[in-house]
Amino acid sequence: MVSGCLAKMVFSDVRHNYVIHYLTAVGILFLTPLLFGISQLDSILSAQPLEIILPLMGTVLMTPVFFPEQNENIRDVVRSKKTSYHLLCFIRIMCSVLMLSLFIGGFVIYMKSAGCNVTAKHFAGSLASALILGSAGFFAAAVSDNVIAGYMTSVIYYMSNFTMKDKLRVLYLFSMSHGRFEEKKYLVIIAAALVAGGFAVRKLMRK
Amino acid sequence: MLFAKECRKISGSLVFWIYCIIIALMFLTQYFSDCTEREYPPSPGRSAGDYDFKPSGDHDTIIEGTVNSLINDYYSNKYICYPLGFYKAVHLKDKDQEKIEAYITEITGLDHDKLAEIKNNCEEYYVSDGVHEYKEYKAEHIDVDTDNISYDRFREIISDIDSILGGGSDYAPESAEYNFSMIPMTYEDALEEYNELFEKDGIAGAYARLFSDYLGIVLGIMPVFVAIAIAAADRRSRMDQLIFSRSISSFRLVFTRYAALITMMFIPVLTEIIASVIQLLVIYNGESVAVEKMLGIPVFWLLPNLMVSAALGMLLTEMFSGGTAIVVQFAVWFMSIMRGGTVLSGNIRKFTLVCRHNTLYNRAQFMLHKNDFIFNRTFYFIASLAAVAVTAFVFEMKRGGRFNGIRLFGKDGILRRKA
Repeated sequence: MVSGCLAKMVFSDVRHNYVIHYLTAVGILFLTPLLFGISQLDSILSAQPLEIILPLMGTVLMTPVFFPEQNENIRDVVRSKKTSYHLLCFIRIMCSVLMLSLFIGGFVIYMKSAGCNVTAKHFAGSLASALILGSAGFFAAAVSDNVIAGYMTSVIYYMSNFTMKDKLRVLYLFSMSHGRFEEKKYLVIIAAALVAGGFAVRKLMRK
Repeated sequence: MLFAKECRKISGSLVFWIYCIIIALMFLTQYFSDCTEREYPPSPGRSAGDYDFKPSGDHDTIIEGTVNSLINDYYSNKYICYPLGFYKAVHLKDKDQEKIEAYITEITGLDHDKLAEIKNNCEEYYVSDGVHEYKEYKAEHIDVDTDNISYDRFREIISDIDSILGGGSDYAPESAEYNFSMIPMTYEDALEEYNELFEKDGIAGAYARLFSDYLGIVLGIMPVFVAIAIAAADRRSRMDQLIFSRSISSFRLVFTRYAALITMMFIPVLTEIIASVIQLLVIYNGESVAVEKMLGIPVFWLLPNLMVSAALGMLLTEMFSGGTAIVVQFAVWFMSIMRGGTVLSGNIRKFTLVCRHNTLYNRAQFMLHKNDFIFNRTFYFIASLAAVAVTAFVFEMKRGGRFNGIRLFGKDGILRRKA
């Protein structure tokens, strides 16, 4: 009964608020093989499309979690419902993480079938980069109550990986392309902290 | 009055202040910290390769270098390309390989049998490409009689080869002219280039190009966020209907807003230009610095970047949504940056949004593209004004109730979003 209600809520929310974001993420997914050659790549070259393009899906899916209720009047209406608003936002972010896993996982399998030397590490590394990029946007949007500031933060972070790669240290997104993987675990931890921090700030601000 | 009001509105926007911080950070961490000391002349007595390299522009060298590289790639049927700055190994089908062979024959005069014979005498080695090992070939250097072919025809051929490969190869005419004609600079060359900094660039010209190169990267994308935030602010605060009912004309309103956006967003850039002038006057104390170049070049270079990014942001937000504007502008910016690949100086074409010249030197390379540069900046200047005019037209339609944003799936299309 409860799970049926939850499924109904998720379906309705995705249909009304999130289809465009999923479609944009799919667009990024289909664009990647056009930008990169993805056949017969070794471990290092395989990391490039997985780290440079696919993590942008994190920005697209995780940043706009608070977007549908950015207007205060709409937020008040949603708040008046039985289901907690923050629970709804949490479900949205979980759905985004699930979709990111599916998209990236599917792409890794596709690369494997094209003869690339990809492993579960590539999947985890790409997902970690997507999560940190998305959670940076999510956190900025949560704190500023402005989804455009969220997108902007995420894009700035992404850009800084091209211009300040030595200064970013554990926050560097493209470490797998340089044969390293250690940074990824820090990315996941920081991403989780940013998501938790984002919700905590929203609760404190009573947004 | 309205202009001042709009400026006040922008100055109260969080996104605008994030923009200011990013512009300041880019300036301080990239340009300002790079230019804290003056340039000194090269020291004599070093071997030629120690100074730098320069494109010779010699047609024979370019043809010979290109053909020798092409023959090796043709034998291995593996052509490395960077269509958008990223690695792509292209393996051609037999039909396309035949076209490449025909072009090699046309340039070198070597027929199919002769080419097969050279292939048999090639040095063969195996390279690991992904999970497979490929056989590659390294032919002996082939001398090309460049009298057999005109340089214009050669350019046509390599341009076609680049198209067959899908673009981004070493055989694109501009890439070939750059990659296959590099020669080491002598001390005299290096000294001449150094002297150009003072004699032709008046010091400030070279620094102005470097300044514009760095700032151009962020000004190709950041203004779109400010433009969207301001364009969407009316809807967010439910003021759009109230504004629709005012007597002011749509063109006046939209153009005033645009002028306010450009003015406010250019203030941090102007501040940094002034800081750069002061820095130059300090580090080149006693030298003649052409200050007007430090003021003129960045304005001509950077203003179109700012204008087109803001105009596209306004137009797409008005027609679709803020999210669409971000995706489109990001794609345009990303492709412009990546298409240049590793060429960071003289990367200026007719429609390059983010022009690159990441050095104080290599003036000749920049001047080679001077006409393209002037066309490019003028084009983006006019295009951005045209985009604002279209925005005003869309705004007018919305005002009259004849248009309410594009809905992708019918009247209540689920894909339609509001910022």
